[in-house]
Amino acid sequence: MEEPVDTATAILASAAVLLRERSFDDISYRALADEVGISERTIYRQYPTRAHLLAALATWIEQTCFPLPPFVTVSDFCAAVHERFRAFDAQPAYAFVGARASAISPTLDPEPAYITRAIEAMLDVAAPTLNRRDRRRVATALCYFSSAMFWARLRTGFDLDAAEICDAFDRAAGPVLAKLPATTRSRPTTARETPNPPVTAWAEP
Amino acid sequence: MTGPALSGTQEAILAAFTELIEELGSDDVSYRVIARRAGIAERTVFRNYPTRVDLLLATAAWIEATLFAREESKSIFDVPLAIRETMQRYDARPELAHVVAETAMRGVNGTAPSPGREQLERLLDAEVPALDPAQRRAIVAALAHLDSVGTWVTYRREFGLDRRDIADAAAWAAEAVLDGIRGRVTPA
Repeated sequence: MEEPVDTATAILASAAVLLRERSFDDISYRALADEVGISERTIYRQYPTRAHLLAALATWIEQTCFPLPPFVTVSDFCAAVHERFRAFDAQPAYAFVGARASAISPTLDPEPAYITRAIEAMLDVAAPTLNRRDRRRVATALCYFSSAMFWARLRTGFDLDAAEICDAFDRAAGPVLAKLPATTRSRPTTARETPNPPVTAWAEP
Repeated sequence: MTGPALSGTQEAILAAFTELIEELGSDDVSYRVIARRAGIAERTVFRNYPTRVDLLLATAAWIEATLFAREESKSIFDVPLAIRETMQRYDARPELAHVVAETAMRGVNGTAPSPGREQLERLLDAEVPALDPAQRRAIVAALAHLDSVGTWVTYRREFGLDRRDIADAAAWAAEAVLDGIRGRVTPA
């Protein structure tokens, strides 16, 4: 991690340190102020509500701990998602902050996440002739199955580990990718790292 | 699926807090205001929900089980239709939808993120029992994920979609998830 340069960033870095030992709800502005060595009032000035703090913290964690591997092709995309889910599994407290921040009512103008834009750019290349509605259907599904929310739900609601979550992602994204025009579709199975890929869950009827 | 039975007092507290969330947002509502709205003593609110987190989680679970209740699907292949309707219900109550979405993403300290899981498993097992465990799990997980308020939040926030387009895209994805098993139903 780099040396924090300004107060706003120093607050986030300290919040991330505190997250290692307690949940976000248990980090009070008081404790955070003590950790940074500034007044509580300064924190309120930077982050007027806990929702502001949560959103900023999630963005900072995303950039610092979960940089998205670049991808252009569909198989690179699947590999990037696997890498991301494994990174989430290695630092679950941080990943939950991301999942939670993506669910709150946006405090500022909602900007699409970087991965959303990257998915749209990928589809522009992979399926240039696909009509607008279907492209949006594919993009939304891929975005949502590759999200921190997907990881969080499968971890908490289904007790799955990273490998199982990656497998569930492949099986969910497979039939979505199968909707891309056949001439442009790259085979999603090339992203698999398992030596024996399971029988395709999305076999055409 | 609806969680532990609530007392009349608890239900009054949760309903009052729900109203106030829609009027003021979830941050700015004091116990005093909730008590007044519910017509009970502030002490009674504290006795039932000692902390704000307790209160918020109970309220989110109650909202999901009552205001956002799904019509029960009779077949796993009806689930996309139910998802379409549910998305429209979320769209009508955006403040409450965000509260439910956020509390389900708190890990073990939050509300259950997939309350519909058991029902999906029941439907799938009844109609398509011959699935290998990993495939069964993946289908249930994908449908549970789509049949959640997270879908509405994400499609709106990341893509700026309106109610109709969210409902369409969510139902479409659920249909895609079912593609591999459409022809594998056990004959009645």
